[in-house]
Amino acid sequence: MAPSRGPQPLARSLHATLANHKGPVNVARYAKGSAKYILTGGQDRTVRLWNASLGTEIKAFTAHGYEVLSISVAHDNAKFASSGGDRSVFVWDVTTGMTTRRLAGHMGKIYAVEFNEDASVVASGSFDATVRLWDLRAQTRHPIQVLDEARDAVQTIHVGSTTIITGSVDGHVRTYDLRKGELRSDYIGHPVTAVVPTQDSQTTLVTTVDSHIRLIDMTSGKSLNDFSGHKNASYRCRGCFGYGEASVVCGDEDGKVWAWDLVDAGLLQPNPPPKVHEKVITWTEHHPSDPNEIITASADGTCKVWRQPS
Amino acid sequence: MTTRLKRKLADIGIDPSSAKANENFCLIGTPLPPLEKSKDTGEFVPLWKQEVRDEKGRRRLHGAFTGGFSAGYFNTVGTKEGWAPSTFVSSRNDRAKQKASRPEDFMDEEDLQELRDSRTVVDTTEEMDLTAGTKAELQRRDDIDETDKDPLTSALEAAMLPPAKDSAGARILKKMGWKIGQGIGPRVTLRQRRLQDLQASTGRAIAAEDVKLGPDDEEANKHTYAPRDTPLLIVDRKDNFHGLGYRPGMSLNESLGARGSNAQQGPSISAGFGLGALNDADDDDLDVYDSSSNSRNRTAYDIADREDDDSIAISSKSGRAKRATNNIRSTSAETFRDGTLVLPGFVLSDKPVAEDRWFPLPEIPKGWTPNPRRVWGQTQSDQSEKENIKADAKEPIPYNKWKSGMSADERGTMLGETPLPSAPKSVFEYMSQKDRERLKNITANLKTGTPEPASTPSPASIRMPSIEPHIASAALRGFQPFTSDPIKQGRYTAFLQSQADPSSSITLKPLPSQSIIEFNKEMDEYAQSAQIFKPMSGAMAGRFTSAAVVETGPQIYEGLHTPSEKEQEAKRQEEERKREEEKLSPKEHAAKLGMYGPMTREVKVWQPARLLCKRFGVKDPNPVSETAENGPSSSYPSSSQPDDTNGTQLDPLQTPGVEVGASSSGTDINGGKRDLTNIGLGEDDTQGRDTLTYERPSVDVFKAIFASDDEDSDEEEAAEPPEPPQVPATTKDIEMPSIPVDTVPDMNTFKPAFVPKESRLTIGSDEKEKSKNKDKKKEKKDKRKALVSFDDEGDEGESLSIKPKKRRKEKEKSKDKDKDKDRDKGKGKEKKHLKESKKDDEDMWVEKPAPPGVQAMDVDLVLDEDRKVGEPVPQVSSDVDGPNNAHGPTRGRKRAIDFM
Repeated sequence: MAPSRGPQPLARSLHATLANHKGPVNVARYAKGSAKYILTGGQDRTVRLWNASLGTEIKAFTAHGYEVLSISVAHDNAKFASSGGDRSVFVWDVTTGMTTRRLAGHMGKIYAVEFNEDASVVASGSFDATVRLWDLRAQTRHPIQVLDEARDAVQTIHVGSTTIITGSVDGHVRTYDLRKGELRSDYIGHPVTAVVPTQDSQTTLVTTVDSHIRLIDMTSGKSLNDFSGHKNASYRCRGCFGYGEASVVCGDEDGKVWAWDLVDAGLLQPNPPPKVHEKVITWTEHHPSDPNEIITASADGTCKVWRQPS
Repeated sequence: MTTRLKRKLADIGIDPSSAKANENFCLIGTPLPPLEKSKDTGEFVPLWKQEVRDEKGRRRLHGAFTGGFSAGYFNTVGTKEGWAPSTFVSSRNDRAKQKASRPEDFMDEEDLQELRDSRTVVDTTEEMDLTAGTKAELQRRDDIDETDKDPLTSALEAAMLPPAKDSAGARILKKMGWKIGQGIGPRVTLRQRRLQDLQASTGRAIAAEDVKLGPDDEEANKHTYAPRDTPLLIVDRKDNFHGLGYRPGMSLNESLGARGSNAQQGPSISAGFGLGALNDADDDDLDVYDSSSNSRNRTAYDIADREDDDSIAISSKSGRAKRATNNIRSTSAETFRDGTLVLPGFVLSDKPVAEDRWFPLPEIPKGWTPNPRRVWGQTQSDQSEKENIKADAKEPIPYNKWKSGMSADERGTMLGETPLPSAPKSVFEYMSQKDRERLKNITANLKTGTPEPASTPSPASIRMPSIEPHIASAALRGFQPFTSDPIKQGRYTAFLQSQADPSSSITLKPLPSQSIIEFNKEMDEYAQSAQIFKPMSGAMAGRFTSAAVVETGPQIYEGLHTPSEKEQEAKRQEEERKREEEKLSPKEHAAKLGMYGPMTREVKVWQPARLLCKRFGVKDPNPVSETAENGPSSSYPSSSQPDDTNGTQLDPLQTPGVEVGASSSGTDINGGKRDLTNIGLGEDDTQGRDTLTYERPSVDVFKAIFASDDEDSDEEEAAEPPEPPQVPATTKDIEMPSIPVDTVPDMNTFKPAFVPKESRLTIGSDEKEKSKNKDKKKEKKDKRKALVSFDDEGDEGESLSIKPKKRRKEKEKSKDKDKDKDRDKGKGKEKKHLKESKKDDEDMWVEKPAPPGVQAMDVDLVLDEDRKVGEPVPQVSSDVDGPNNAHGPTRGRKRAIDFM
């Protein structure tokens, strides 16, 4: 899992600031493939498409009537899904900038939306404590299935090839295993705000609002590691893995980006990290292939692209 | 009419020789034209066939109108009636003859006549102004004068502009040498003319000698002059109804002869009707009877208004006069009393400005302190005292007493006149005496029943607002608005109850501390809130449920609240309890300690939707549970399923009939041979063998389908899916307990081998009876049909009664086949063939035709027979095919998937 030579230092020099959002940026996602582009969704009801290397805005997708809380990009980059306060999942066509589907059915704001691998199903987790799985192949208005096991708002979803992992405010990480036909719910004890599994789906990074990030073994439910030191008590601060899954990166509510060694859970230098955002960092995402790039989205209205000075 | 029909009619009871029966509805040949041709042939004639002729019989244009040019009408051009087009011929000789053709050339005499009629020598439409230059001209001048007031221009105009139209007389005069502006008569000398001028100016007769001519007039004296124009005495047309000498707008004083001191005599427009800004005040609009126009203050602003506002443009003369005075007044230098000049454009007001009167404050006695409470108390007590007294005084006067004077009738009676026979005034007059008495009684009862007579609604009486009972009862069930005030709430409910049930004896009385007005207000409030808070009705009510607990919000303490020790103690205890509760859950406890793992993990079975599995490209983890879901409704529940579960879960010895097939489930052997390439090529050894060894589904399957619901549990049991091999042990463990164990014995009873004969027979016989009845009915129906139908012969009816039997037999067979087909769906076609042949075998086995109704029963029989048939087949093969056979279509489908 961890490379033998230890984790690479985190990219900490600012490459570009994406500052067109007029309010907090809630989510920032890399596009699929070579991931040259970034999609950000903010409180200003827009989804914006950016060129990460140039730092320029390409397009603004405006159809949401409320804040955008989650974005998911399809595997072929042809469409993406976004959700937020307007209680329906919007599926967009990237080129035309129009919504192709609006999946309504949730009773509350939708915190998380996620495509499956071939973008035939989109899962949405909502304040109404349900996860709805929508079929994008057929033109039905009803979800394929509603997962209503959660007792509180569903904050995050990860859709794997055969599993759906959800994190809920009720403190549970639920793993729906399609192949086995079973549901494994792991009680974390604190509201779960982010669930990021590793590539091999053996472990999952679980961010909770008790200022802890835990690495959970998915087979047994045991906590393998606990990363702490940052401050995350009331906001959704999505953490992620560093390059090669050798480290864990998370922004905190003070606007600092923290990094830990995955194996020994030790804080990487600099410790404490410098404050890079004015307000809470809502989203941290590492570039899927480039070892030197990471993006952070913050409530101060900016999304920043960090690169290693080469 | 055929003889047969006749016979039938006779059977029915109709006399075939009657006229009605023989009535003929056929028409042969074409009807003769009606003998009399109607005058008004309203028949359609195409346009080109219609001929329009005038009263002289000449063809005319289409008759929608008379007249018109007939020249070019249909085909008449070139004929002697029609118009001949002239051709242009160029010739030098006839050039003089050529003339432009006029419309008249193409007109016939009618049109010419019309033309002549329309031409008038004297234009009658034009107004014949006999006094040209007099009335109309003066009128015109007046109009001009009104618009621009310059007297010079008007004089010039009068002198220079000719009258708009000369009358005949004027024209004659002009021809005689008269010119505009001159008088009529022989020319006069200068002296005479001067004399005329003087006479006109002074109005006195002056001797000619008095007129002196200046020295410069000598030259002028040599000529004669036209006499001066005599001013005409114009008498205004009187087109109103005023008395002689009355001018509109004249005040009473003026009309009496006394000249009003006020120079301006604006017509007082009657106050009742508004005049539009553009309307001139007409005579009708003037307030004739308004005598106060003199005293009315129409000063500064009125004048200013009049300068630019012509909406108060009054009837012409007076208006002009006023304007003149205004002009004078505004130009003449006015001074204030102290001698300073009035600003130009301003006018001194005639009336002094009314001063506001100020009263000095009363002197407040020393040591006085305000005490409003005393005043309020006083007024209140006064009110309550007065209320009773006032009740009579304030009583509204009934409408028939509005007129204070005596009525005509009263006067008449006083004068001793005989009353006129007038129409009865009230409904009561039309009523009979009895009814009137009854009404009186009722009203009397009502009055005695109520504490206060309703006829005198005094403000102090108790008014009980009434709501409809259904609203009241609904409001009783609905939201209770006064929960914060229990007394009020109680009164509210009492009020509602009294309203909901009019017969109830609940009466609300004002509280001792309440005045009647307050009570009335309260009642009104209740009525209103009942209207508002009645629960939603009808469709809406079904969608909502009212809350079980009414949230009243947190209790608010007045002032600075310091919680007492008790409360604090209670709070602390509660918190502790909560904490303990939290700690109670071992899962949470473990999570708190960071002991994540099996303690914090829960594993449940989760059934992903089939479509979801498809989308994720995952095999359905529990595919059979799906069939279990729709087991009862599935069209082909295979008999093997209960057998299968039986074989795995129950003692096989208990089920000897089935265990053979179930215990030896050799799918692998079979699966090896089965191959996509084999199927349908006839190389498969086992092909068709399952058809041969086909077993009828056991009776419990049919029961599952057709039996009543109380046997469902068995059915479910039967439909319980076999555990798929890939399901892990954990899920199995969880699933196992869900299978009800107590139903096992029941299941046995439903095995074909264990069904007692009696019960089967009873079931069968019941059905038999039913079906027999049905058959009978059917037969009857058939017979009835035969009676009604026309086309069948009498002897056919008998054959009909027999036919169904045959058909039914066939039907049964076909039904069986259909059933089998249904069951065997998914199997190859060639199997069907085989099966049919097998069916024939089966039929052979049936010794006598099964009684018609025993279809359910017959299944059992066939099953036995099947077994007989199947017996000669080697045991091994039956073993091999057993599960395959038993599983039926579902298995077959699954296998196909496997092959893929």
